[in-house]
Amino acid sequence: MNSLRSDLRLAWELTRGSDRGEWWRVALTVTGAALATGFALAAVALASLRGGHQVPVAAGLLDEPGTRSGVIVGLLLLLVPVLGFLGQCARIGAVHRDRRLAGLRLAGATPWQVRRIAALETGLACLLGSAVATVLSVLLLLRQWDRPTALAWVGIALVAVAVPVLGAVAGALALRRVVASPLGWVRRIGPGSGRGPGLLFLAGVLLVAVLALLTVVTTSTAAPDRPNGRVPLTVMGVVLVVGAGAVWLSGATAKATGRVLAPRARSAATLIAAERLREDPWSAARTHAAVLLVTVVGTGFLGIRQVLSDVVHSTRHLAEPASYYTTGLDLTGAAIAIAFAITLSGLAVGTAESLATRRRGLAAQAAAGVPHTVLGRALLLETALPLAPAMLLSGLGGMTIGTGYAVLSGRPAPWAIALVPVAVYAACLLAAATSLPLLRRSVRPGELRYA
Amino acid sequence: MNRPVPLLTAGGLTKAHGRTPALRGASVELHTGEILAVTGASGSGKSTLLHCLAGIVRPDEGSVTYDGRRLADLPEQRLSELRRTEFGVVFQFGQLIPELTALDNVALPLLLAGTDRARARALAGEWLERFGVRGQQDLRPGEMSGGQAQRTALARALVTGPRVVFADEPTGALDSLSGEQVMTALVHTARESGTAVLLITHDAQVAAYADREVQLRDGAVVPLEVTA
Repeated sequence: MNSLRSDLRLAWELTRGSDRGEWWRVALTVTGAALATGFALAAVALASLRGGHQVPVAAGLLDEPGTRSGVIVGLLLLLVPVLGFLGQCARIGAVHRDRRLAGLRLAGATPWQVRRIAALETGLACLLGSAVATVLSVLLLLRQWDRPTALAWVGIALVAVAVPVLGAVAGALALRRVVASPLGWVRRIGPGSGRGPGLLFLAGVLLVAVLALLTVVTTSTAAPDRPNGRVPLTVMGVVLVVGAGAVWLSGATAKATGRVLAPRARSAATLIAAERLREDPWSAARTHAAVLLVTVVGTGFLGIRQVLSDVVHSTRHLAEPASYYTTGLDLTGAAIAIAFAITLSGLAVGTAESLATRRRGLAAQAAAGVPHTVLGRALLLETALPLAPAMLLSGLGGMTIGTGYAVLSGRPAPWAIALVPVAVYAACLLAAATSLPLLRRSVRPGELRYA
Repeated sequence: MNRPVPLLTAGGLTKAHGRTPALRGASVELHTGEILAVTGASGSGKSTLLHCLAGIVRPDEGSVTYDGRRLADLPEQRLSELRRTEFGVVFQFGQLIPELTALDNVALPLLLAGTDRARARALAGEWLERFGVRGQQDLRPGEMSGGQAQRTALARALVTGPRVVFADEPTGALDSLSGEQVMTALVHTARESGTAVLLITHDAQVAAYADREVQLRDGAVVPLEVTA
């Protein structure tokens, strides 16, 4: 107990003595954990309902088990961009944090102590986010639901505990290389090379998939014409397969773009961006994968939405009121918009982190006369170059879904959805451009004074 | 006898980092082709002096004149161009882009000046040859030894044919043999091309390569003549 207290104090002192980047990491981790807890709690509360219920929100969409399980799967899918966001947050100041903890190892700390300090740093931020989200969610729930069932309370408690525990485990696992070889890590000055697409991220996505499977199996009721949860499960499966493909597609296109462009680059900015992509193609793969996933789903959804809206507004006798269908479409649209906003935030955080890590080198470039505009262009190209081909493919995928659905429904193809990937691409560049003011700060000569 | 006009003159420089004064009225002159060592203890203001002279930071008071032009009168864009074309800057470490090969790192200033990539790489290769690291041209900085990386950094600083090279502890992170190789290469090339060198160091052996040495103490210059 005493040693836990001293580790806790050390973790606090280390964080307190860190620069602003560390505080940003803590604040964004708290935000990410709060989002994850919020989505998971909403899914748990809905999953605890059995059979038909009168739910006073969503125009009756949550009343029946079938549509309810679809909403639960949607909420769980929102965890995927949140995981990507948390992954990006964990990378903020990662180089300095890793060196700091490696320094602790060299000073005599045992592997267990270092792991525990790292786990405490991440776990406590997740605990704070989880606690805030749980309190707010419970207050909101009690306004809608007089007496939540025991199952609902158990689910809420499990989520509230699981988020910080998983955060702590992820924090400890992320340091496995530092713990194994502290000296090599302390002395490492170059960029990471050949990093994989993020085993922790993939493990998180797999966990979400298993939870969704369990949820659908236990909450959806079977009917003769509708086997148990087939539609939500199929959607979940397709989205996860596309998502997993997007991670590799993103990394592979980044690597291929770097390889193709580096020998042919004519400008300094393109050369720097291309070589950086070739050297570390996986650094932005998680965020870019989430962008691709949102593009496929968003483009496809907008096509389907247009067809369904036409059907709802042109059919006189519907089984349910029109608001039942439009609310479902609006909720799905809102979920995709939220996922997109989280993804863009992750992209902005990732770009800022990449800048912060390289700030001394960038300051040296600026001191040697490399214009700020060249460094800024290189930074934007690092996002723009690998995203372009991947965005084209994901846009085509989404259009195939949207137009395919329209053709099968005998409706005109919604060609306007072709603009979605273009808009997403522009938004991504804007998100990356939010780091440009940080670039100006990073290349200040004062940075040359610190190693 | 008339003394030649200095290429670079700094007079009465003061600069503070927050509330900590780094320079207190430092003055220094550098002539064409001269190698000047600025020595002093840690915290004496050596690096700040170099940053002011190279136009990387603006002093709080005093002025720096290069070739008849006051650096304070030049906009930031022009200062960047000056550092890219007429100055070369070498730091203790960190100035090479980790993702670029040695050849591309050296070619970078030429690319920025608008030189064709093939021509820039050819010229960069010649400079790497001159510094004895041609064999490492396809390696990235992280794959080279400290001495090789520093010689690559020198090649990068000299590839545009600058009139002044500012070197901030260029051998500070190297063993004595590598440090000697780096200094020999720098001095030999500077003498050959008539480039002036302002060398910041706390090492007396490194300072011995210079024509002249000035010492900084508490942000002020204390002149000290040495034999070349």
